[in-house]
Amino acid sequence: MSRLVVSNLSINRAELPVVTSVDLVAESGAISVVLGANGAGKTTLLEGLSGVIPVAGGTIAIDGRELQKARPGARSREGLAHVEQGRTVFRQLTTEENLRVSLHPSADIAEAYALFPELVQRRAVKASLLSGGEQQMLVIARALLTRPKVLLIDEMSAGLAPVIVTRLMTAVRKLADDGLAVVLVEQFAALALSIGNRAYVMRRGRVVYDGDCAKLRQSPDELHRLYLGEAESAVPA
Amino acid sequence: MNPLLTSAVAGLTAGGTYALLGVCAVFTYRLVAVVNFTGAAIGTAGTFVLIALFEVGFPIWPSVLAGIAAGTATGVAIGYIMTRWFGEASASTKAAVTVALLVGLIAVGLRLTGGQHPHNMPELFPGSAFRLAGVEVTIASVLTIGLAVLFTILSDLFLNRTKVGLNLRALADRPMAAELLGVRVQLLSLLVWGMTGAFTTFALMIIAPQRSPNFMTLSLLVVPALAAALIGVFRSFWRTLAGGIALGIVEGLASSIDSVSQYRSAIPFLVVLAVLLWSQREARWDEAR
Ligand SMILES: Nc1ncnc2c1ncn2[C@@H]1O[C@H](COP(=O)(O)OP(=O)(O)OP(=O)(O)O)[C@@H](O)[C@H]1O
Ligand SMILES: [Mg+2]
Repeated sequence: MSRLVVSNLSINRAELPVVTSVDLVAESGAISVVLGANGAGKTTLLEGLSGVIPVAGGTIAIDGRELQKARPGARSREGLAHVEQGRTVFRQLTTEENLRVSLHPSADIAEAYALFPELVQRRAVKASLLSGGEQQMLVIARALLTRPKVLLIDEMSAGLAPVIVTRLMTAVRKLADDGLAVVLVEQFAALALSIGNRAYVMRRGRVVYDGDCAKLRQSPDELHRLYLGEAESAVPA
Repeated sequence: MNPLLTSAVAGLTAGGTYALLGVCAVFTYRLVAVVNFTGAAIGTAGTFVLIALFEVGFPIWPSVLAGIAAGTATGVAIGYIMTRWFGEASASTKAAVTVALLVGLIAVGLRLTGGQHPHNMPELFPGSAFRLAGVEVTIASVLTIGLAVLFTILSDLFLNRTKVGLNLRALADRPMAAELLGVRVQLLSLLVWGMTGAFTTFALMIIAPQRSPNFMTLSLLVVPALAAALIGVFRSFWRTLAGGIALGIVEGLASSIDSVSQYRSAIPFLVVLAVLLWSQREARWDEAR
């Protein structure tokens, strides 16, 4: 059992606060969904967690070990994996080479192909030539082979056909069921809420909702208000 | 005996050195995304450690090893500066930083080595290897070209056949994604700087006796080296290799023709200009399509 605990986290970009006093938890077996409109600070939050950018304050801990000062590589070795926005495959490497880069000594490439059998026949193809859906599968599989405890995923559904999105969501749910702690950032809420456990809604860098996915899914009006920001009073204390 | 052939062959040692330095420049550019103007200066630093030890009476081969170690260390030091403080900078900023470092290295180097004061640079590999159509081909030229070919083949094998090479290619493609997967980015970058430092130092030790061995002239061998790299458009090792050797031969030929020999140091410049104009032409053609 693993647990990511983020408390009072603040992150600046170009000297301006972009993420302010965020508390967040992700646990083995569960998906924590982070929602919010464009520019709410979701990507910045994940980048601060994985170490792409430094944090201005607060703590990040996996199973009690604090990571906020460590370099991205060190955080990765502590069990944090970040699937970045924009499908960051190694373009010049083949599918299989992409997987081999991250291969943990105790992991096996077969695990990646078992999760996404679509990739098997594309194993010798340069990653830049894969379809968007295949690239997304590849970056998720690649992150898994580092043997993470916590998986951060940023907007994996952007620009993909609905049938592929459903496919990816199912795969992520399975990963959580197998014991991974997942933080899933999405802009389009419905599907993410249907597979998630705990939901966070961000607006202008702050968490304005922290509660059950199921509850939020049943009240689309509230979600709408949270996104648009006319409902400060709706924030649970 | 054909005088033209003689002078062409005389350019081979320089050609091999340009080729090796050029291939190292491509290697550095492709793997750590830096157009490195300090390449030759790093080798020069190592070469002068050899000269200093030799002049105070140390035996030659241990001095060579010490020199190569010093060149490797200088390369790693420059690499540390580049990765630690300029890792996120743009390609042009990084290039500008290496130019500044070159100026600094030359200033310090000239100061420490007594400026233009002539040095006693031992010839490591005197004599000729074989005769080609009646012309002596020196061991030095065979060695520099051989070293350049070896480096090219080894880098190819290393990058395509080993795990470290795979990680380096991933790092070159997307540094942040590689780091997020736990690839030891800093260590690998320093490895690249160290490897190129070692090879350039050895190449410069071979060519130094043929040039006036002062810190500035040797450091500025980076100009023909970058010209060779440009011929390979900073991508192709083999084109760079061929380009470097061709540059040396053309320079050798030019030095035998009285009317142009004064201008032979301008040859790399002319080549750079021609390649740049040519690539512009292609770019314009691309736009016009
Ligand atoms: N490099 C940067 N420098 C300065 N400000 C930035 C930078 N990157 C992002 N920002 C600002 O930070 C805020 C949050 O951006 P972020 O990318 O985290 O939002 P997001 O919630 O991921 O949005 P999206 O849904 O569009 O991906 C935005 O207002 C953006 O303008
Ligand atoms: Mg984003």
